Amino acid sequence: MTEKYKRVSGDAVEYEVFARKTRGEPLHQVGSVVAPDDDLAAAYARATYDEERWIEMTIVRKDHVIALWAPGES
Amino acid sequence: MSALSGLVLSIADNKQMLGLRYAEWATRAPSLEADIAAAAMGLDDLGHSRVLFGCLEPLGDDPRTPDRESDPASLSALPYFDEPWTSWAQFVAANAILDTAFTVMIEACVNGNVEVLQHRLRKMLSEERYHFLHGRSWLRSGIDKGPIDEAWRQAIEWFGPPDGDTASLHKDGSLSMGPSELLARLEERLETKAPSVKPDWKGWDAKRRRSRPGAIDDRTFGMLRGLEEKRYAKT
Repeated sequence: MTEKYKRVSGDAVEYEVFARKTRGEPLHQVGSVVAPDDDLAAAYARATYDEERWIEMTIVRKDHVIALWAPGES
Repeated sequence: MSALSGLVLSIADNKQMLGLRYAEWATRAPSLEADIAAAAMGLDDLGHSRVLFGCLEPLGDDPRTPDRESDPASLSALPYFDEPWTSWAQFVAANAILDTAFTVMIEACVNGNVEVLQHRLRKMLSEERYHFLHGRSWLRSGIDKGPIDEAWRQAIEWFGPPDGDTASLHKDGSLSMGPSELLARLEERLETKAPSVKPDWKGWDAKRRRSRPGAIDDRTFGMLRGLEEKRYAKT
């Protein structure tokens, strides 16, 4: 069996990026970035996903997300 | 040329060159994310330079002279930008130290008593936050000392001598900080002490805000003036 492709290498971790355009909508996941720390992840998220006029953007370390169930497990 | 217009022109020239040098690394940085950040920061700084150039007329004394069209040495950017950077460490030192030095000077303009600068430069500070996070984080990751020391030296020179124009602008309220306050603010933001630097102010060019002679190469100068592309235009 081949190993799954991993974006992360060395000290870097993956961060999920969430954003929204209006106060009335919830935050949506708009993508992810890989970075070795929170500051760099914030800079990368802003640089990568700044193409829209977001009113809010936030990042979360992917390994801090607690999964309840995955597709096919409910 | 008034001291304030000369200073604003120098910030504009430096941000234009910083943006150009950042953009040169948009496909050479250590990761895809860093490539994109280099491109985005380059665009930010080129945009900031346009805003700063646009402040010169309202300031009432546009210091740009016709020789800016023909003489690269008439531009007032730092020696750090004369040559393309050959190492990522040079990029990081410029990003962390020089970009933040320019931001600290913009803070001094925004908090000074000149209305056009108070209003037009404020937005730059929020955009620069991400340049700062990027530079500081890479700086902490550990890079060669050479570019760091050079960037500190040029930043301190760029702030100007203790009894020069920057100090006068601070005294009259145009700037909220003088040279020593600007350096202290830069050290505070980067959470580190500057290396001991004793500039030779006798050889300092007050117009270009640098000691070392020299300038960008002709090709880069042609690109800045929009002439480089004419080589490819049909005649």
